[in-house]
Amino acid sequence: MPSLSELQRGFAAGTIFDDAAAIAQLGIVSAGIDPASRIAIYRNNVLGNYRKALAATYPVTRRLVGAAFFDGAVEAFVRAYPSRHGDVNHYGGDLPRFLATYGPAHALVYLPDIARLEWAIDQANIAADAAPLDLAALATVAADAWGDLRFRLHPSTGLIESPYPILHIWRANQPGAGDETIDLGEGGDQLLVRRTAQGVTIERLDAGDYALLAGLSAGATLSDASRRAQILDPAFDLSATLQRHVASQAIVAFCAATSTARRTQP
Amino acid sequence: MATLPSVAGIGLRAPHVARVQADRPQLGWLEVHSENYFVDGGSALAALEALRTVYPISLHGVGLSLGSADALDGAHLKQLRQLAERIEPALISEHLCWGRIDGRHLNDLLPLPFTPEALALCCERIDAVQNALGRRVLVENISSYLRFESDVMTEWDFVASVVERTGCGLLFDVNNVYVNATNHGFDPHAYLEAMPGPAIAEIHLAGFDARGPCLIDTHNARVAPPVWALYRAAIERFGEKPTLIEWDADLPELEVLLDEAAIAQSILEEAHAVAL
Repeated sequence: MPSLSELQRGFAAGTIFDDAAAIAQLGIVSAGIDPASRIAIYRNNVLGNYRKALAATYPVTRRLVGAAFFDGAVEAFVRAYPSRHGDVNHYGGDLPRFLATYGPAHALVYLPDIARLEWAIDQANIAADAAPLDLAALATVAADAWGDLRFRLHPSTGLIESPYPILHIWRANQPGAGDETIDLGEGGDQLLVRRTAQGVTIERLDAGDYALLAGLSAGATLSDASRRAQILDPAFDLSATLQRHVASQAIVAFCAATSTARRTQP
Repeated sequence: MATLPSVAGIGLRAPHVARVQADRPQLGWLEVHSENYFVDGGSALAALEALRTVYPISLHGVGLSLGSADALDGAHLKQLRQLAERIEPALISEHLCWGRIDGRHLNDLLPLPFTPEALALCCERIDAVQNALGRRVLVENISSYLRFESDVMTEWDFVASVVERTGCGLLFDVNNVYVNATNHGFDPHAYLEAMPGPAIAEIHLAGFDARGPCLIDTHNARVAPPVWALYRAAIERFGEKPTLIEWDADLPELEVLLDEAAIAQSILEEAHAVAL
């Protein structure tokens, strides 16, 4: 008789990997239905749960490839990237990475970036809430010291960059959208995804703006992040950009660089 | 902390949240899947925090994997504890099953062999969960589509032993008893008779799919007539219990769930009248 861990390991091999030898070792009572058919019921249920969960997270990705292709990709994905959460809602963040190496999707060069956008939207929905930036506290910092500050973006923020027009593709594949031909050469996107009081929004940013937020998001000081923005966009207006993102609550907090450094020391 | 009244409630799913918030239908309580609220913020959590001021809430877990040979998932348990602190539910329940091995979750409710090893493991885990949460939890009997040759006891003896050894409550799923009785060829009343009535703190009812060689517990249909009959027998035997209508797939309009809940409520009221 298999031990409990052997039994569960064999059950997982039978359901996820269709491993006939593992199923034979499980000691399943036939009683009119052979063991492989009984495990197949579980395989259908398990894969069905994943198909349903990932279809809810990646509706545009699914629409772009069709249901049958998507279901096949999900099955291969589940085998390659085990779920690490007891909550199926947290599963699927690696799908963009998987799609980038998934042979059958090779021709759809923009697909992994569409999937990254959809994951960012999904995560924005469930990220923590945050209070607006404390302007009174910011006013107590001398203006010439602002460059050393590190600003924190709203926890729901996702920054997605692609050489393909992914926002155009995403919008053209919303429910009810008509058929449209999109030129992949029309230019790439740098997108800000975040949750506002109105729900999740997607905004197209220009190069300097994107560089500033990407820098701040990675923990750079304001002066380091804005220097990078100015290199990419000589007309970059730091003051106006900062003001806009604070007002819209894309930026929600700040701290002095030195205190951050102290806190992150082991 | 509210307690669940011995009346009918429904499992609240995302597509019905706005309607329930707006209409506040007359329901004794609501149950949600704990894991759907393992989030840091957002509108779903805000809606549940609003609804908890209107209805008693039951947190029903689907992913703690009490019967896994893997160690208990401490991060999952911590999230459950934090959610419980936030929502202050009347009840917390989980399933008597496994779902994780070698770090891989299968995100499903998988069947255990009814062996002393599995029994001891489940009891140890339930003790740990009850200690971590500082309260009694309920465990639910699941549907299954196979049995193992290694079984040395019946499912009902396994379930009753878990309750007796750990002092946990029982979430008695009448539909699952019927499904398993059909799939494995036993008398559902034998199951009923083995259950510790006072430990039953909640009953689940749902619909199944009968198209294949096995009944599948799909939660996508109305409660079947023989399950209603078994439910009546359970209420006659155990007394009135908080009763939940579960519907997870092919979700219909809210009215259909409310209608099913009204049927359960009428059975509970008949039993109440007889008891008086």
